[in-house]
Amino acid sequence: MIGGTAGAPGEELRVLIVDDDPQLLILLAEQLRSDGFEVITARDGEEALRRLARGWPDLLIIDMMMPRMDGLTLAREVKAQADLPIIVLTAIDAADSKADLLEEVAEDYITKPYHYPELRARINRILRRVGDRVPRQGLVLGPTLTLELHRRAAIVRGTEVALTPTESRLLYALAANLGQTVTTESLLARGWAETEDADPSYVWVTMRRLRQKLEVNPSHPSYLQTVRGIGYRLQST
Amino acid sequence: MTELDETAALPDSEASPRIGSRFSFRTRLMFGLVAAAVLPVAGFGVALAATQVAGGGLPENIVRLLLFAIAVAAMLGVMLAYVLTADLLRPLRTLASAVQRVAAGDLSTRLDVAGEDELASLAESHNRLAADLERRNRELGRILIAIGETSPRDGVARLVAKAAADARTAFEMIDAQIHLGDPADIPPEDDVPGDPRPVRAILELPGERLGLLSGHLPATRTWEPADGDLLELFASEIAVAIRNAQLFEQVEAQTERLLELDAAKDDFLRGVSHNLQTPLTSIRAYAEQLTGDRPDRRLTIIVEQAERLSRLVRQLLAVSRIESGALRPRAEVLAPANHVRRAWEALGADGTEFELIDHAHGWLAVADPDQLDQVLWALLDNAVRYGGGDPVTATIERETGDRIRVQIADRGPGIDDNDRVRLFQRYARGGPAEAAAAGSATGGGTGLGLYVSRELCRAMRGDLVLEPASARGGATFSVVLPGEAPEDA
Repeated sequence: MIGGTAGAPGEELRVLIVDDDPQLLILLAEQLRSDGFEVITARDGEEALRRLARGWPDLLIIDMMMPRMDGLTLAREVKAQADLPIIVLTAIDAADSKADLLEEVAEDYITKPYHYPELRARINRILRRVGDRVPRQGLVLGPTLTLELHRRAAIVRGTEVALTPTESRLLYALAANLGQTVTTESLLARGWAETEDADPSYVWVTMRRLRQKLEVNPSHPSYLQTVRGIGYRLQST
Repeated sequence: MTELDETAALPDSEASPRIGSRFSFRTRLMFGLVAAAVLPVAGFGVALAATQVAGGGLPENIVRLLLFAIAVAAMLGVMLAYVLTADLLRPLRTLASAVQRVAAGDLSTRLDVAGEDELASLAESHNRLAADLERRNRELGRILIAIGETSPRDGVARLVAKAAADARTAFEMIDAQIHLGDPADIPPEDDVPGDPRPVRAILELPGERLGLLSGHLPATRTWEPADGDLLELFASEIAVAIRNAQLFEQVEAQTERLLELDAAKDDFLRGVSHNLQTPLTSIRAYAEQLTGDRPDRRLTIIVEQAERLSRLVRQLLAVSRIESGALRPRAEVLAPANHVRRAWEALGADGTEFELIDHAHGWLAVADPDQLDQVLWALLDNAVRYGGGDPVTATIERETGDRIRVQIADRGPGIDDNDRVRLFQRYARGGPAEAAAAGSATGGGTGLGLYVSRELCRAMRGDLVLEPASARGGATFSVVLPGEAPEDA
């Protein structure tokens, strides 16, 4: 497990939590503070935008369903002002038709009721990812492959292929280090941060499945290279 | 087509008077004219020759002169007949070639008409025939285009307006309207000579009159039965198009209504889910916090029961999605053993012994982690509830065809043969045997667990089956999922 917060030691990361439920707000603020975050809270979207005007946090945690301005609208407003990372708390899960909308606007969402350690893992993953330079729009890797990771899709020979959350996380980590080898261990940490007992075979099998999705000839990959004994490398052609 | 027409026309031509003969018209005319011009002169010559032979008294030189004159007259007569034949034949030839061109499809052919003789009137008849044909052809072309352009998506109102405008253009009417409803609502107008001529055609479908197409033609326009037929053809095609548009509008409206209802239902369920899950999150988190400070079995029960309630809410959401066909599982790779172990821990069934046997040799399953958790939790929950306190066993095996089988077995009374069939139906629960064994502590479920679980498994390209009853007793359920070998790629 990757513990601790991203960023320089001693420098507190600021999190803005927006939730209309006071119990949850207080509880979550308490938990995050005890983990060394500086926490600001807001009861609704309006208040959140007012707080945002006074200074940008490093991360926002927004409840999906709030009176007046819902979480999705707030997330869009925030993104229009600044590309701040957002995690949405929601009662819906991946099977809901609204999940796609969420994924396009926010960096991540977590389904209620959530375990705090899982939320922590997601916060860490997102804060780590902020430093990465992966274009939000399409990343053209070659004539047959374009990645559109912000909406969890790849364009393979002109056809859109959907990626699972884990697949897009792995590709994100590889794309952030384009042309360089990323170790299996760090891919495992990226892809399965909130899975307690993941093992390297998760990475192997997911990479194999990714090749079947993305490569024209999966047995002779041109984008997703294996660096035997170390890890994997994503390269453009 | 032309052959057919010819054969079809044969009986008619037999019945009507025959025209034509073995000799050409030109030959016959020529012979006639030559005969008319030469025969009297020749007769006179023969008479003259006969008198002379009989010893007539005409002097020799006069007779020669007369015979010469007769020969010249006969020659002139033949020449004149030739010229006259050519003059009479020319207009007939022109007429014949014009008719041929019309027959070949060139309807624009017209003849110059001068004078008032029989040939002129024949030429005029031809011109009128060609003009009528041309007009009808044009009308047919326009209505075919108009019919081809109709689409049920246009909507009834637009279709009616367009059809009326098309009819006006196609038939060169002064005005045209379409009235939807009983055609008898609009009484026929009288045709007053000199006034615009009223025309109408009923928009007719088999067994139903949809409306009326009516309008006016310029008073000078000819209107033959064939024109009326064309108008009726157009009207019936428009009737079909309007009916299609009406049906399409109904279907569209229903679809839209259903989509609205579906969206409203989804929103409602999201709201319910949110309102239930938010307090459950607080309850669980606070209870967990307290357990961390001072462990207490009662707090653990609060956590477990909050978890159970959350799962039941999700189960209800899943039912609604199964019914609307909106399950969207994500195909992630995972080790089923880890998920079985965690599902068991989440259940908090401390009083029941649990054994996990993993024969998968590292093989991974391809499944949606959240949905698989729901399935495993429901199966383990059932095994605990109906297992009568006896140990619960989970066995993971690799099957041929790259499949992973997770078997969850209890040692309770098992499932009645009568109940095996309806077990996976919605709102079904274990039969009397299992229900009796369930005891009062765990209480009843929603009766949705197995139904939802099977649908979730199938959506993940797997299945959930109840294994045949074994001599050992108890109930054994198998989750089958696609598998992947744990090899480094």
